[in-house]
Amino acid sequence: MLVIGIDGATWSVITPNLKRLQNFARLIREGRAGTIYLKHKPLSPAVWCSMFSGKSPEEHGHYDFVKNGEIVKREDIKVEFIWDILDRNGVPVKALNIPFVVPPYNFNVNFEPVAYGLPIEEHELVEEIKKITEKSLEILKEEKPEVFIVVYTALDRLSHLHWGEPILVDYYEMIDQAIGKLIKFDDEIVVVSDHGFCDYEKAPIRTLPKRTPKGEIKGDHHPEAIVITKNVECEIKDPTDVFYCIKRKFLRD
Amino acid sequence: METKKIEIPAELYEKIEKRAKETGFGNVDKYVTFVLEELLRELESEEEEEYELSEEEEEKIKERLRALGYID
Repeated sequence: MLVIGIDGATWSVITPNLKRLQNFARLIREGRAGTIYLKHKPLSPAVWCSMFSGKSPEEHGHYDFVKNGEIVKREDIKVEFIWDILDRNGVPVKALNIPFVVPPYNFNVNFEPVAYGLPIEEHELVEEIKKITEKSLEILKEEKPEVFIVVYTALDRLSHLHWGEPILVDYYEMIDQAIGKLIKFDDEIVVVSDHGFCDYEKAPIRTLPKRTPKGEIKGDHHPEAIVITKNVECEIKDPTDVFYCIKRKFLRD
Repeated sequence: METKKIEIPAELYEKIEKRAKETGFGNVDKYVTFVLEELLRELESEEEEEYELSEEEEEKIKERLRALGYID
């Protein structure tokens, strides 16, 4: 099974641009597309953590990259993730660039992220998409596990700073191309985002201040995330369903 | 235990055979299996080692989080 996470991917950009986003279009055509309506605050660290631990934010207690002035680390979060459970049960699994912490977390993969997993400048964002795709292809070609999970974070940064600008669609296209390369290696696919995006002024909650040292924030998180599945039995309506979906398939409980 | 055959250069075999005798393994098969298992275990534990951040790296990450507005 191949799980591709795209931080901040939203239907309001994908749907009107499907002619340019041919791999999204193909997946939607061949699989099932839907929306995850988040019941909790659309905070990336909390949602990614829920998605791969099967726990709600109240249960895992992880909301931010930084707590009391300190960077939160994997071992500070007292949960078992799907990769821990699969690995313990002998199911080959790898996870690349999972952004519930910074730098993003890797399991059974050696990977040095671009700019500590917090790319800001355009060349860093492009480099991140390229580097994650290259590493993913290396894994899928040479040592493909039963379950491979990978997350791209570039669209979130771009959407905060360039919401409503044409450049955003260019980056969606880059992600679309990357997805096209990865999905050739698996029949069972989940593509999922941690939250949607919308205009900063219309965002139901603000995750960032209006002005930051990198410039004015134009977009912010929306509680409607995307999900597309292909050849995957279960329905994903909540982030935790991703965890249960993988667990049920490989551990049958 | 099921076993499989592999081929290695004769010169290397002779070196291993000499060492196997010296270390009391007696036969080359057992010695090679032992050495390879040790090597794989070492490589796997290196891969599993948690990546520790230095103070300088932590500061750089905080700078980036500040620039992006995640922290004040």
